[in-house]
Amino acid sequence: MRQHGDTTEIRVSPAHLTEVLRRLRDDDEFRFEVLADVAGVDTGDEMWVVYHLWSALSPDWLRVIVDGLPRDDPRVPSVTALWNGAEWAEREAYDMFGIIFEGTRDLRRIYMPPDYTSFPLRKDFLLPDDAARSPGEGFRHMEQAHQPAEQLRDPRLRRSRVD
Amino acid sequence: MADRNNVRSLDDPNIWVDTPATIFDAVPPYPPRTEREAEFYHLRDGELLINLGPQHPSTHGVLRVVLKIDGERVVDLDPVLGYLHRGVEKICENGDWHHAISNCDPLEYVASLFSEAMPVLVAEKLLGLEVPRRAEYIRVLTWELNRIASHALYTGWQALDMGGLTPILYGFIERDEIVEMLAALTGQRMLFNYLRIGGVNGDLNHDFLSRLGDWMSHAGTQLEANAQLLNENEIFVRRMRGLGIVDREAALRTCLSGPVLRATGIPYDVRRAHPYSVYPEIEFDIPTRAEGDCYARFMLHLDEVRESIRIIDQVLHEMPDGPVMAKVPRLIRIPPGRAFIAVESPRGQYACYGMSDGSDQPFRLRIHDPSFFNLQIMNSMLPGNLIADMMAIFASLDPIMGGIDK
Amino acid sequence: MSVLTRPWGRLTLAGKVILPLLLLLVLLTVGLLAGWSIGLLPWLLDLGLTIVDDNIDIVRFVVAATAILLFTVPTAFVVGFIELKVIAFINSRIGPNRVGPWGTLVAVFHGLKMLAKEDFTPTGADVPVFTLAPVVTFLATVLTLLVIPFAPGLVGLDMNIALLYFFAISGLTVVGLMMGGWSSFNKYSLLGGMRAAAQVISYELPLLLAPVGVVMLAGTLSLNQIVANQAGWFWDWYVWQQPLAFIVFFIAATAEGNRTPFDLAEADQEIVAGFATEYSGMRFGFFYFAEFVNVFILSALMVVLFFGGWNAPVDVAPILSGLGITINPALDPGSLGLGLVLGLLIVPPLIILALTLPIWLLKSHWSFLKSVVVAFILFNVIVGTFVGLWAYMSFETVAGLFWFAVKTLTFVFLFAWLRGTLPRVRIDQLMGWAWKWLVEIALLNIFLTAGAILLIQELGRR
Repeated sequence: MRQHGDTTEIRVSPAHLTEVLRRLRDDDEFRFEVLADVAGVDTGDEMWVVYHLWSALSPDWLRVIVDGLPRDDPRVPSVTALWNGAEWAEREAYDMFGIIFEGTRDLRRIYMPPDYTSFPLRKDFLLPDDAARSPGEGFRHMEQAHQPAEQLRDPRLRRSRVD
Repeated sequence: MADRNNVRSLDDPNIWVDTPATIFDAVPPYPPRTEREAEFYHLRDGELLINLGPQHPSTHGVLRVVLKIDGERVVDLDPVLGYLHRGVEKICENGDWHHAISNCDPLEYVASLFSEAMPVLVAEKLLGLEVPRRAEYIRVLTWELNRIASHALYTGWQALDMGGLTPILYGFIERDEIVEMLAALTGQRMLFNYLRIGGVNGDLNHDFLSRLGDWMSHAGTQLEANAQLLNENEIFVRRMRGLGIVDREAALRTCLSGPVLRATGIPYDVRRAHPYSVYPEIEFDIPTRAEGDCYARFMLHLDEVRESIRIIDQVLHEMPDGPVMAKVPRLIRIPPGRAFIAVESPRGQYACYGMSDGSDQPFRLRIHDPSFFNLQIMNSMLPGNLIADMMAIFASLDPIMGGIDK
Repeated sequence: MSVLTRPWGRLTLAGKVILPLLLLLVLLTVGLLAGWSIGLLPWLLDLGLTIVDDNIDIVRFVVAATAILLFTVPTAFVVGFIELKVIAFINSRIGPNRVGPWGTLVAVFHGLKMLAKEDFTPTGADVPVFTLAPVVTFLATVLTLLVIPFAPGLVGLDMNIALLYFFAISGLTVVGLMMGGWSSFNKYSLLGGMRAAAQVISYELPLLLAPVGVVMLAGTLSLNQIVANQAGWFWDWYVWQQPLAFIVFFIAATAEGNRTPFDLAEADQEIVAGFATEYSGMRFGFFYFAEFVNVFILSALMVVLFFGGWNAPVDVAPILSGLGITINPALDPGSLGLGLVLGLLIVPPLIILALTLPIWLLKSHWSFLKSVVVAFILFNVIVGTFVGLWAYMSFETVAGLFWFAVKTLTFVFLFAWLRGTLPRVRIDQLMGWAWKWLVEIALLNIFLTAGAILLIQELGRR
């Protein structure tokens, strides 16, 4: 539990997340009914998911940080059962970081094309590498969307050596 | 040239066939990845998938919505975002805190001072910087002017989406004066790049003040003309009243904010809930309405314009003298920390969660755009309405794709 | 010369205009030369004249039909221009003002632009139906002009079932809309076509039922006769005797013409261009052309049925005879003598000066000489038209045309005014209004009219 100026911050482990948020929302002494934001963070060592809540009882924000998520398999229970609006925010966190929210009905990419292979906001994402690897390499018309990218490579084109 | 034999007939019960998808299909050419997708792309008898595509005369920006319709009724919808995704957050991480200002400008391009406020206010909070009072007052003044300009545009395209060709031009008359005023102040008509970490970029000048004075004498008259044209208009009212009703519980659960939330009766306004800048010292009300339908949202925007004019009046009277920029080093290095700020933009709660790691680049700037969350209410509100209603509801949510897609 | 082998879609705009004319010219020249050289030409001419004399009715009909078809073109230009300018002024804008004097030629250039666009058929479209849809819509709209009386004696075909013919033909527009919506291989077009068809069909009922009251009052379906019955002062017009019918007819006509507030068929905020989404080039031009002409035709029908057609608001005949003025029905220049010489010397310069002054004052950056030249041209145009019309037609015709044009253009202006002001009605509200309100009111009107006629007859008998 930490106090940062006008924001109180608490750290929660993924297992307790749903319970904590439910208590915060439903308990009469807290009544944190407004979920202001759901954010994913890649700290370089590990992944976090950060929730911000607001209650009518005080003008301060409450920050709930779920930390300790491993970088190769970050899994967090979903809060869409409590707040419907978190659905797209969780989709965005998945799209940008690869954080899997368990319990959502709809965990698809929201910004990137559906067949994109990388997670852009991670700290190990570098654009030149990705462009050479991703299906975005080589221009494909919509009619060719079903063809795998290898079939489209024109051997006369100069390709980057990065692999 | 697509082969005609590949076109599947509407009677085909099996959607996931091996023939490659053609350009005529709204159905994706891969198997469904989630249960929601499977549910959505399973068509019953008589249902049609229609693509309200990214190029459309009336989606506010590039939004693609795959509609499942039965005749004229919308049964389900699947918004596909990302057509305007510019990677703002990633680019902010690669640049300076100052670069983040002009980078975040186009997020809410209609009222860009609010999106500029994101990196600025976060940096000031992380540094613990005290902004001069004159700068704060100027910020509030320009914020409220921006709000009026944005609402002027909103009333215009709410009517335009329903076929009225005139109100948008009246709205633009109002917006044009404000935007010219802000151009005299900031040098730009639209993406102002005016806020700076520690204040604003330049004091008020004579041109701006004279234009502001002229405008204040007939502030909001064009919008009142719009209101006159539309408020009692039978066709307009019958198309909007009782449409797209959002109730309070659903509103809180969908994390709505802004006029969409206040039209349901919940008086949540960031300026009063979590006061920032000099809003605690300014007297204004939070307009709310109880019905939660499109008409209530429309009237609420007009109410907010009147409140904004009141705020501008007070700000002009109480503007203190002083510097407009705090003493900030050229290269801003912020000690490690985390901060969360929120402002009340014309669309709702515009929030930013910033993390800094001690270097001169932001470590993480997470921008929470209100239109992103406001748009989710469409999934629950729209089924059962007609396509024509969809445009009306969509316009009343006032989405800006720049912020939604970041 | 490869341009001659290109298909129509591959020609440029100039090609599309010049080549058909060239073709006609070549054919005519070759035909005339051949005929003259063989000596067949006089015999052919004689043969032609005898055929014409024998079938004068058919010839007259063909000439009338051609004239009407040609007449639709400037009509559409005028209606288009009025709409653009009126909506612009309502929107606090200026509208087109570059293309001709005060932007008057803008619709002409829109038409030429349509010719210049790429002419394609979408993949998967049903090509014969796709090609014919604009033709059907256009014809269904334009053929109705045959029965509208523009002036006394100036009607295409004076049928005694003119009104029935009118509604029968204009009902064919539904077929054209459905063809367009279905044959473009596009869900938006399908939706738009369905909406448009539903709307037009729903509003045909009130459109047909409303003039039944007028027909009962006039006792005939012939439009010429209906107009003749409204001769006299403006209180003789049928609108005062059938106000309910007029209101119903006006609303139904707005919906028939797909005008705002009932323009869902082409609501570009919702379904792009509705049934015309996949159309481009002149095919699209046909649809829009048909719409403008339809506006004119509906206005004309309203004027004919309710507002006295070509009758002036005041009854001039008694006034003129009271004042002792007789207007020569046909102008005979030879009878004027010295007065003619004076008239030709004095009157034209006076009129030219009268026209110059406003022009010179309004366009202050023009020199006086320039204003005189413009006024001279304007004078020639106006007086030439007037004298030409007077020479070839009687004064009554000219006056009738004038009043008809004024009234019709007023209604066109009214349609444009509505378009600039009102938002659109939703499809289910629209159908609800047609079936729940307008049909009932029209039927009520018929009953009331019948009752009133019977009552007056009874009272007249007593």
